[in-house]
Amino acid sequence: MSTDDSGDDGASVSRRDFVKAAGSIGVIAAASNAAVDVDMDDLWTDEKQHYVGDDYGEYGASDVIHTTCGQCNTFCPIKVRLADGSGTGEYSSLVRKLAGNPYSFLNTQPFSQVPYDSDPADVAMGDVEGSGDVDTDRWSLSGGRICLKGQAGIQTAFDSYRVRQPMKRVGPRGSGEWKTVSWDQAIREIVEGDDELGHPGLEDIWGYAPQEAVMSDWEAVQNGELSKSAFDEKYGDDLIDTDHPDLGPKSNQIVDVGGFRRNFIRNRLWHQGLGSINSVHHAGTCGVSSVMGNVRSHAAQKKRQYPDIENCEYLIVWGTNPMVANKGPTWLAPKLTNAIEDGMRMDVVDPRLSKTAEKADTWVPVEPGADGALALGMARWIVENDRHDLTYLQNPSQSAASDDDEPTWSDASHLVLVDEEAGPKARASDLGLVPADADTADDFVAVDAATGEPRPASEVETAVLDVDLTVDGTAVRSVWSQYRERVFEHTIEEYAEMAGVSAEKIGEIADEFTSHGKRAAIMAYRGPAKHTNGFYNTRAIATLQHLIGNYDWKGGQITPYAGYDTMSGRYELGSVPDGHSPWGIPLLRGGVNYEDTSLFDRDDGYPAKRPWFPVAPPQATQELYGSAADEYPYGVEALFIRPYSNNHVMAIAGGDEIPAILEDTDTIPLIVASDTVIGETSQYADYILPEPTYLERWENFGTYPNKRLADEKISQPAVSVVPNARPFEDVLIELWSELDLPGVGEDAIPDADGDRWPLEQAEDFYLKLAANIAYSRDPVADASEDELRVFRESHENGLGEQFDLDRWKAAVTDEEWAKVVTVLNRGGRFEEPTAGYDEAFAEHGHGYDYAERTDDSNAYDGEHMRYKLESRVDFYSEVVPKGKHSFTGERFDPLPRVDDVEHYDGTVQAAVSGDDDRERPLRLINWKPRTQGMHRTQNSPWLRETRPENPVWINPQDAAERGIENGDEIALDAGRTTVDAVAMVTSGIRPGVVGAMWGWGRTGDGATAETIDGETRPAVEADGHSDYQFDEPMTEEAGYAKGRDAGFAINHVQPLDEELGDTGLSDLVGGSNAQYDAFVDVERR
Amino acid sequence: MAEHTPPDDDAAMARARARLYGLLAATFDGETETVAAALDRGAFAAVAEVFPIDIETADLRGGDYDADALAIGYDNLFVVPGSHYVPPFASAHATDPSEAFESDSRYHTAGEAGEFLGDPAADMAQLYAAAEFTPERGDDIPDHVAACFEFMRALCDREAALLEANGAEADLDAVRELQAQALSQLGWIDRFEAAVASNDTVEGVFAAIARLARTFAAWDAREVVQTDLQPSETTAAELSDR
Repeated sequence: MSTDDSGDDGASVSRRDFVKAAGSIGVIAAASNAAVDVDMDDLWTDEKQHYVGDDYGEYGASDVIHTTCGQCNTFCPIKVRLADGSGTGEYSSLVRKLAGNPYSFLNTQPFSQVPYDSDPADVAMGDVEGSGDVDTDRWSLSGGRICLKGQAGIQTAFDSYRVRQPMKRVGPRGSGEWKTVSWDQAIREIVEGDDELGHPGLEDIWGYAPQEAVMSDWEAVQNGELSKSAFDEKYGDDLIDTDHPDLGPKSNQIVDVGGFRRNFIRNRLWHQGLGSINSVHHAGTCGVSSVMGNVRSHAAQKKRQYPDIENCEYLIVWGTNPMVANKGPTWLAPKLTNAIEDGMRMDVVDPRLSKTAEKADTWVPVEPGADGALALGMARWIVENDRHDLTYLQNPSQSAASDDDEPTWSDASHLVLVDEEAGPKARASDLGLVPADADTADDFVAVDAATGEPRPASEVETAVLDVDLTVDGTAVRSVWSQYRERVFEHTIEEYAEMAGVSAEKIGEIADEFTSHGKRAAIMAYRGPAKHTNGFYNTRAIATLQHLIGNYDWKGGQITPYAGYDTMSGRYELGSVPDGHSPWGIPLLRGGVNYEDTSLFDRDDGYPAKRPWFPVAPPQATQELYGSAADEYPYGVEALFIRPYSNNHVMAIAGGDEIPAILEDTDTIPLIVASDTVIGETSQYADYILPEPTYLERWENFGTYPNKRLADEKISQPAVSVVPNARPFEDVLIELWSELDLPGVGEDAIPDADGDRWPLEQAEDFYLKLAANIAYSRDPVADASEDELRVFRESHENGLGEQFDLDRWKAAVTDEEWAKVVTVLNRGGRFEEPTAGYDEAFAEHGHGYDYAERTDDSNAYDGEHMRYKLESRVDFYSEVVPKGKHSFTGERFDPLPRVDDVEHYDGTVQAAVSGDDDRERPLRLINWKPRTQGMHRTQNSPWLRETRPENPVWINPQDAAERGIENGDEIALDAGRTTVDAVAMVTSGIRPGVVGAMWGWGRTGDGATAETIDGETRPAVEADGHSDYQFDEPMTEEAGYAKGRDAGFAINHVQPLDEELGDTGLSDLVGGSNAQYDAFVDVERR
Repeated sequence: MAEHTPPDDDAAMARARARLYGLLAATFDGETETVAAALDRGAFAAVAEVFPIDIETADLRGGDYDADALAIGYDNLFVVPGSHYVPPFASAHATDPSEAFESDSRYHTAGEAGEFLGDPAADMAQLYAAAEFTPERGDDIPDHVAACFEFMRALCDREAALLEANGAEADLDAVRELQAQALSQLGWIDRFEAAVASNDTVEGVFAAIARLARTFAAWDAREVVQTDLQPSETTAAELSDR
């Protein structure tokens, strides 16, 4: 501003005159009360001296290794900054800091990643043009985002309670006493058996015969062509039960439990090497009912619901907390925050005011487990008010959809053969519309709106939705007619009553959801799904999006699983020459109809002894231990567990019942754990083998379908903390070699030319995987001489003597090596948002949304996503009714529905549409903590300091009734057990519902004493901090890490299934363990 | 250098400045009842006459103005994007487009001036955050002239309160530093005033008040707060380097 035309010198203005003149203003302008309310002792104006330190040490690319975080299941690409002076002393290296990987868009939100071709040296130094300067911008892309859990990974790797040598139990299982043994001894005893502990060896247990030969002979037995005794003689050593050959080979009784490294361990070693069908991951304890609810709602692969956040105008976040979990902290949280700032409305459905709900326009505290009612209530409002996208729904096929610029279409108009068992959809040839050999014979059938005649769907441009007719004597009804009838089974008021959400609110949300065209979407996950009705709840939510047809649209529902080749390309890593084909009934009875097995007749049909999961994958892990104890469908002879990622004692509802099963050596004769620490589950093993943490080993974590661009992450060893730890892959390779099983050793891996390569160590596999990634699509550039040098130096710094460059190079061809190094130096491959990205980045920098601002981006295809679902979406699943409830024999429902929460025998645990008989009034829910990745991160004092335990959230109404105040010590009575806890009184939870974070109440990993070689290590108490007592939640001035046993274990207060008595409740359709269905009461201590 | 004044007078001075900033904030926030009352009392004219500049004080006197008429004038000038529209926020008057402040805002075209919520808004928002100040005026637009003046009003009130209570010297320095920073962001007022002058051709009231506002703020910056004047294109980051 200037005073250049002010005439006389402004300084001549008299202050006294001014004060006097201003007096005439008086109180006229007093309408604003906004005040400067700042602690002047702490006044800052964001100048450069604030937030920006200048005392930093320079480092280079030789101090950096890019890999993947394993602290939670988001698996962020990260940058490991190795400490100076590494390579001396006990460890190969120390870690100075962990940060996000700036090459990855997953960890640079809301900015853009550095171009893939950027020199690692420039990236490490923050010297890439456009990546910002920390001195002036307060932001630089030399490191990407990482969350607090990720940073605490240092304390995972360097936990003093890590297992350092192979250990063998002393005394009975679970006694807590161990002795160290050599690797040779451990391997020998696992293979050959051990008299000291009295367990058999794998060579005694294993047996295998191919399915085709067995079942052919079995048919011969049935036909009288082969005697049963000859059959028994032939297969007695190889089959679990020659009276029930469909159980499969004895190899199935060797069971693998572990969440990570599925491609290597499950596909390659367990399935094809061992020939066992039983390799189990975490799904049952996780959101598999949500996954299956989505899978059954879409014809192409779609496991998750995610919006195109950048362009979404209205987002419903339903029972998930993306600011904290569900791939949230580094990836979704900044995106959501920006979208909200840009005007996106977000409503959150959750019984609890989560961190995401705090940011919502509207918080909708639904009754737990009644999500299906809420969704169907919305559906009714939408249909009643004609707010569904009629044009979309009337497209019966891809061709009709394409004409409307719709990448997807629905089954709404398809006809169902209603009189046939399991109600399949009619095919054109079924109704005699075309000959059986016609091209359109397998088409679905829709009634053409132009002619009123049923026709093959591909020949119909616009179909009739409501159809109920008879075609040549065959009764058919359209999917829409049945869906509509289902939706109209209850009034909106009835749905409102069930969901505990007012009819007005249901209408408001439905109205908003249908007011943004395709730019509205739902993100839903575990909240609705982890009940016994979770599958149907998810179906009801998923099908809401069918009503607006938002798939593949900018701002709508997205499904890009876009990645790069991993298992094939240069090397066929999934192929095992002369490998076994696993077969038989899975231990967890998934994907198999009970009625089709020989056990159905043996056990007189219904009810089956334990639940079957006919339309879910065999991953209902909560059933594993009870099944072993009941030997149903068969016993487990050897159990291999990797509890770092699958700590079932803590993670399964009712996991407190597992130890008693594991302690019994008759139930499972051999238990081998590969673990980083002595955990709650591994403490019951016969052997614990020291496992490297995620910072010390290889991995390829799968990509996830919530991003616009392609990526592929690769983990590589960055440090070596426990020299004698061996990745479980290496252990299995040795075991398999001892047993002479296929898939390992010489000639194990075929390349694209048919040549065979050896598999002797994990890197033989993973370096080839990196080569596949490097050559996928357009091959990456060769690493320059400088990059090759940086690679060698950084790995020597990080791994010390463990790094054998020549051995690594020998795992691939010389030609491939330079490209493999390019991929490893960047921690994977990450697609750039546009062509010519490096020039654009240099010009516009990292604070620019290239995908949005470029017409020809890699993210979008006009108004559509570039990576598409491009398939049919299903209101009606043909697959689901092929399965029956194994207790009642009742068919599962092809449509979404309102369902009660039930035990296996049908006893109602929590009614949705009716009444239940609950002894305790408060519904207990739980959630992932903001400050812990899993139970496995509880060892970190940094994280325990942030939240020292898990208080019980309780609404002020419920607290007042019980005389409870915030911070009171309370007893939480769950019926079968009572635990001590602390109350956190908050209006942020629905009245009648209480809840707490999971991840607490540990007994393993230093939470209790351990004795090794006669020396006892006491439990961690307070990590050297003060004896500060956690008393009043959310008001503590500072947190100090309590012991590793702080808080209570949420899964140990879950109800047990009334019929089974040894595990929690299960969703038989989706496969999940129910974890939000406990009823408790609380009282002040 | 300004004349020396004892502490009591300093406090009175700060109160007086707060009053005028408050009145200007109300004015540019469209609080036309207040404007009409101030015109009626001759408050604008009284202040304008202190400054030896050419302000048409005739437009600033008299009780002929009614609030409704002023509201129509205000809306035409500052609310409705019509032929007389003058955006009342700094970003629209920045001559250097905010390349660095990337926003997906639909109001903002990269590389062009006349934007909404550009760098100036970010700079003002940073200042507000530093002072834990939440503007009530200015329609949630951080660089709205009403919000900027309201911030100055609050800072001057704070200064007066500190002086009256014998507050710590460091606190006083801090609040004056904030005033300096805030005023240094107001360089765009020149272009704003010129735009109002050429668009408020009917009533002339807002043109006269804008001229008063520009003159007062410049004087306050130079003579009272003694800040360096910064051209409006200057960002806070650049400022801190000087």
